[in-house]
Amino acid sequence: MAFIKLNDLEIEVEDGTNIVEAARQHGIEVPHYCYHPGLSRPANCRMCLIDLYLRSSEMPERQLATGCTTTVRSAPPERKIDGKYDVIVRTDSPRVIKAREDILEFLLVHHPLDCPVCDQAGECDLQDFSYRHGHDKSRYVEVKNVPPKKDLGPDVLLYTTRCIVCTRCIRFCDEVSGTGELGLINRGSHDEIDIPRNHAGTPIQLLDNKLAGNVVDICPVGALISKDFLFKSRPWFLKKENSICSGCSVGCNVTVEYKEDGLYRIKPRFHEDINQHWMCDDGRLGYHYVNNDDRLQLPQKRVEDELVTTQWADALSLITEKISEVESNDIVVIGSAQATNEDNFVLQQFAHDVLKTTQLGLFGQQLGEEHKFPQFTIEADKNPNTAGARTILGSANGNVVLEGETLWEKVAGAKVVYLVSGVPERALDEAEKEALSKVDFLIVQDILPSAVTEMADVILPGTTFAEKDGTFTNSTGWVQRIRKTIDPPGEAQSDWLITQQIANQLGGEFEYSFAGEIALAIAESVEGYGDATHQKIGDAGIKLA
Amino acid sequence: MVQEKRILYEHLNVPNINTYDVYRQYDGYTRFEKALAEYQPDDIAQMVKDSGLKGRGGAGFSTGAKWSFVPKDIEPRYLCCNADESEPGTFSNRYVLEKNPHLLIEGILICCYAMGIETTYVYIRGEFTLGKKMLDAAIKEAYEQGYLGENIRDTGLNVNIYTHPGAGAYICGEETGLIESLEGKRGQPRNKPPFPAVEGVFMKPTVVQNVETLCNLPFIVGNGVEWYTEMGPTYADTRSDPPTPDPNTGTKLYCISGDVNEPGVYELELGLTCTELIEVAGGLRGEEVKAVIPGGSSAPILTHYELDTRLDFTSLTLAKSMLGSGGIIVMNETRNIVDCLLNIMKFYAHESCGQCTPCRWGTPWVRDIVQRIVDGEGRKTTITRPKFGVTESGRWGDTGETEEIYEDLDLLEDVANNIANVDTMTWNTICVFGIAVSWPAVSYMRKFRPEFEAAIREGKLVTLPVAEATVPPEENYAYQQRFIPKEFSELE
Ligand SMILES: Cc1cc2nc3c(=O)[nH]c(=O)nc-3n(C[C@H](O)[C@H](O)[C@H](O)COP(=O)(O)O)c2cc1C
Ligand code: SF4
Ligand code: SF4
Ligand code: SF4
Repeated sequence: MAFIKLNDLEIEVEDGTNIVEAARQHGIEVPHYCYHPGLSRPANCRMCLIDLYLRSSEMPERQLATGCTTTVRSAPPERKIDGKYDVIVRTDSPRVIKAREDILEFLLVHHPLDCPVCDQAGECDLQDFSYRHGHDKSRYVEVKNVPPKKDLGPDVLLYTTRCIVCTRCIRFCDEVSGTGELGLINRGSHDEIDIPRNHAGTPIQLLDNKLAGNVVDICPVGALISKDFLFKSRPWFLKKENSICSGCSVGCNVTVEYKEDGLYRIKPRFHEDINQHWMCDDGRLGYHYVNNDDRLQLPQKRVEDELVTTQWADALSLITEKISEVESNDIVVIGSAQATNEDNFVLQQFAHDVLKTTQLGLFGQQLGEEHKFPQFTIEADKNPNTAGARTILGSANGNVVLEGETLWEKVAGAKVVYLVSGVPERALDEAEKEALSKVDFLIVQDILPSAVTEMADVILPGTTFAEKDGTFTNSTGWVQRIRKTIDPPGEAQSDWLITQQIANQLGGEFEYSFAGEIALAIAESVEGYGDATHQKIGDAGIKLA
Repeated sequence: MVQEKRILYEHLNVPNINTYDVYRQYDGYTRFEKALAEYQPDDIAQMVKDSGLKGRGGAGFSTGAKWSFVPKDIEPRYLCCNADESEPGTFSNRYVLEKNPHLLIEGILICCYAMGIETTYVYIRGEFTLGKKMLDAAIKEAYEQGYLGENIRDTGLNVNIYTHPGAGAYICGEETGLIESLEGKRGQPRNKPPFPAVEGVFMKPTVVQNVETLCNLPFIVGNGVEWYTEMGPTYADTRSDPPTPDPNTGTKLYCISGDVNEPGVYELELGLTCTELIEVAGGLRGEEVKAVIPGGSSAPILTHYELDTRLDFTSLTLAKSMLGSGGIIVMNETRNIVDCLLNIMKFYAHESCGQCTPCRWGTPWVRDIVQRIVDGEGRKTTITRPKFGVTESGRWGDTGETEEIYEDLDLLEDVANNIANVDTMTWNTICVFGIAVSWPAVSYMRKFRPEFEAAIREGKLVTLPVAEATVPPEENYAYQQRFIPKEFSELE
């Protein structure tokens, strides 16, 4: 630990912390652009200048230091200042304040200040710091550089005029994704971010990697813009909720940004052990199915080979009727790796306590590809909760959960199958199709019309990760919370609530009223999940022992 | 009349001195052999320290001190020879490369021996195609003669030299920009510390040395420290008690250009005055001296009031200028300082590497302001303040005092100082290119303000007579107090 004096505060910070972070921990803003905690530190924006006292508390060092590259360390006794401080830092001295004003003036020399039409406005470091630390007017009267706007890749546009050449995007592609598509062309005030091009100006490589979207997040200004979000909304109109990405078993921490009419974008949220500052584009751009107009809104039943919409009461009584007709051995219940632990727990209790069947299976997205980057991995399991679903479904069953071929064998021989899917765009292979076609009565709980719902006798409209509360367990054993953002479409309901209603019609006595309550029940009965209550999980998640 | 003192350039014009055979006839490689035979590596490092040799590339940092910062326990260490000579007004390294490349190789060998270095990179300015060709040929010969390669002259010493051409960027002369460029990256200076002596080429300890600095080494070893220190003044640094010696020893290759009758490179002892130097270069072309740039375009300008300034590291620093690369540009009464500043600012705006904010966008801004003044569109405002006095009609009343404010001059000074402040010598930039921009901008403007004002007032460039154009020292804080440093010997 180092003991430092920061302005008038006396604080202790970990050895090796830089001044920007040390100050941030104590609520003091050291404005910066090029510094990003997840990247190397070129100290090129010169915005985080601070006054440093290394020798005495009377006289600061002659040159201002950059806060991002100045790290503090506990000094030997003879080198302590005033006998106790390892270093004294001032972020509020007149010359620091002046330096910030000067740098901001330079930053705005060629900046177009087209905030009224700029997507970044409202969450722009250049706006914010100019407002807090800058001049109110510019003395620059010459012509501004107007470099051309560039289409860098599938989702990223570069409004070159707005770029402040902080090189965060370049460093991201060099260090985190390791793909190195971005670089600087020209020199001096004509510096431009660009992708490799041939002499005719045709790109020979696009900014097309599965982590590309992160450059938009880290761009401190509105230079790098996501085409997906372009002109969709002002950021201040968006509501935000902390959640977990449902794209794969990594379980990236995200913030879901939404309005009443749907999701607008998903951004990564820092988690030291899981995704650091990043997320992949599959997760980032994969939310569109939530807003899909085709979402299942009402229950449906098969009448003379046609699926027709019906009332919940009708669908439920039809299900009760069919289930009552068969032996428990003829029933297969299938949970989902896309559903929450809570959904799967109620399903498991239903199967075990009400139906008294041991035939519990697990369904999910088909295995995809793994993508490894120097500092990030996208896993092949495209479900957010395979680990949790497996544990929970098998928890009262000697940990036996049917998967793959064994599952489809059982399905083929069953009379009634209750399949909770919730998987967006799930294709079926031949074996799966054949097995499902043999089922007499197939109940499918799903979110979108799919190959699975096509074969169903009854369809129950369920919910996506964005419309419910609950927890996911990722591949490394982190249990994390997802939160409800928008209301589900039409009469769709939380998956556990649907299961609970079916169970109660068949004589069960389930009285869960919200997901947190189910989590308490999980904590009581599932091994290893003792601490996994919503309260304890919070925003940081907990790691299973 | 001052005489040239040719040491580095002594044999420059000997026919075929670029070949090993001829170089050998003129004591070639004997100094290196002497070093091997008579001295331990540490002795050489000590001799260089004692000689007081200061780097000739620009910063004027003590070479001996630089060597002492190199950690001896980290392998490999590198020597990087800075032959990127691109400071406007500087052209002395070029002649060494083109005419006497073996001298540089000998210097490199001595440095490598002293520092235990096995690999040397010579970073040559891209435009020096002839220089590179000559050096490459000389290196080839040196390999053939067994002065380079493995186990040199059976001493177990290994030295390899690689030459690397630049791609035409001034900033690659800055030592860390050079290293980045050498490593194959964009030529952008690094943040310091760490300095190259600790983390340089490939993040290993690296000695970066100018061509001229290295060429001094054979003579220090060959003729001894005493011989060397007799050349040039050693001043007394009275900031410490007792005063410490501040050596400005040796000779300097002064590149004299501009309004002199015989421009060229002159090798002279350090410590001559501007006036003497102009005399050496065949005298002034024109009526009178208007200004002298003493150390390449980055150096603050000297006026005719300062012609007695001695052109050495210490004296020029005390005059708030610098010896820099030794590129001296003399201007006579026909030169317009505003125009001259525009020329220089165009260069810097073009050469800024663009890495850090103040320099990237400040330098072209300074250029644009000067351009505006040159175009006759410089801005000034006349403001009228109420003043009580006797009016035209003979009554007491408001006489309306007017004052002219040259906005663009204030702006010019302020923007330049925001890149790097020349008064406090603080800069907000990564490298000292920033100060190389604001030094000329601010010094030209402060010292020749009447000419700038005239350009704005008249709406066109006006070249004033020297006396009128120059602000006298008493009135201006651009000048250091006139102060002639005392020589150490005088003190004793
Ligand atoms: C902008 C800039 C340009 C420079 N250009 C050169 C150059 O062209 N040649 C050179 O030898 N040193 C140049 N230098 C100085 C080098 O950074 C470095 O100080 C020098 O190579 C060290 O060698 P020395 O100690 O032998 O002088 C430059 C410095 C700056 C800041
Ligand atoms: S980048 Fe920021 S300051 Fe620039 S136009 Fe966009 S919102 Fe405005
Ligand atoms: S595009 Fe954005 S992140 Fe990239 S250098 Fe410019 S301002 Fe920085
Ligand atoms: S001061 Fe100028 S030349 Fe030096 S690093 Fe910054 S932008 Fe590059």
